[in-house]
Amino acid sequence: MAGFLTPNEQENIIEDALRSYPLANMPRDISQTVMSRIGREPGPRFQITRMDYLLTIVLTLVLGAIILGFQALPPIALLQMRIQGILLWQSFLVNYRWLLPVTSIILGTFLAGIAVHQLLRSQRR
Amino acid sequence: MDNEQALIQRAQKGDHDAFAALVSEHQGYVYNLALRVVKDENEALDLTQETFVRAWRSLPNFRGQSQFRTWLYRITTNLCYNRLPDLRRSLNDLGDDVMGEIPESNLENPSQKFESKEIKTNLHKAIDDLDANYKLLITLRYQNELSYEEIASTLNLPLGTVKTGLFRAKEKLRLALANYQLEEPWPVS
Repeated sequence: MAGFLTPNEQENIIEDALRSYPLANMPRDISQTVMSRIGREPGPRFQITRMDYLLTIVLTLVLGAIILGFQALPPIALLQMRIQGILLWQSFLVNYRWLLPVTSIILGTFLAGIAVHQLLRSQRR
Repeated sequence: MDNEQALIQRAQKGDHDAFAALVSEHQGYVYNLALRVVKDENEALDLTQETFVRAWRSLPNFRGQSQFRTWLYRITTNLCYNRLPDLRRSLNDLGDDVMGEIPESNLENPSQKFESKEIKTNLHKAIDDLDANYKLLITLRYQNELSYEEIASTLNLPLGTVKTGLFRAKEKLRLALANYQLEEPWPVS
């Protein structure tokens, strides 16, 4: 007797077909091709370049000079610098207070723009 | 697995032989995944090679948070996205309206019950004819045997989208089966 399958039987047949869907045979082994391509490249190691060494030396020297420079200053000069700093900050607060919200808004808009751009780009992919 | 872990660690230190062993172990599955998506043997071979070359370059970044094979599949699918720009969009467009668990077959050995080769061949052809996004999901789930979570992580998709995609792929196969059955009803035991 010819008959139609129940949903459960359909499910089982589909599941069976999905599980038995054959793996395609590789036309050839690619190990050698991959290894010859890799052989031409440097190993995947963590490497420190000369530039990294140079940058480290320069940064160390600059930081060292700043620290030593401050230590070498007489206490009165340090106090004067502190006073000048406070005066500068007060002058900024009085005359250029508007700069803070304006800078925040510009920075926020810029970052939001980057985020939207990235989102649109990932949507397009 | 421990052996693979050792091979990965050796490869990370620059051992070519260890990496060659990893290539031999995984190339079949990577090739198969690429072939199901791009449908061209040469292009799939090219993608497989590129996957392993990129894996070699990125090996120091592999920290073992995921399995090595799922990491490889992620590289392969990213390469597939580059070749087929619409693939990524079609996966995202699947949505996530299937919220529950997808029922799995309760047969311990389904092939013993359904032995009709013709039905199976017909369904395998229907799988071949599915869109690349569905074939990608099916290959990862049923051939590469990844969990839903692993597929979601590999494809960088929400879990709901993975479930929806697999559910819809099965619905398409169900339709193909129903059409076939209308043409040629077969006896049911």
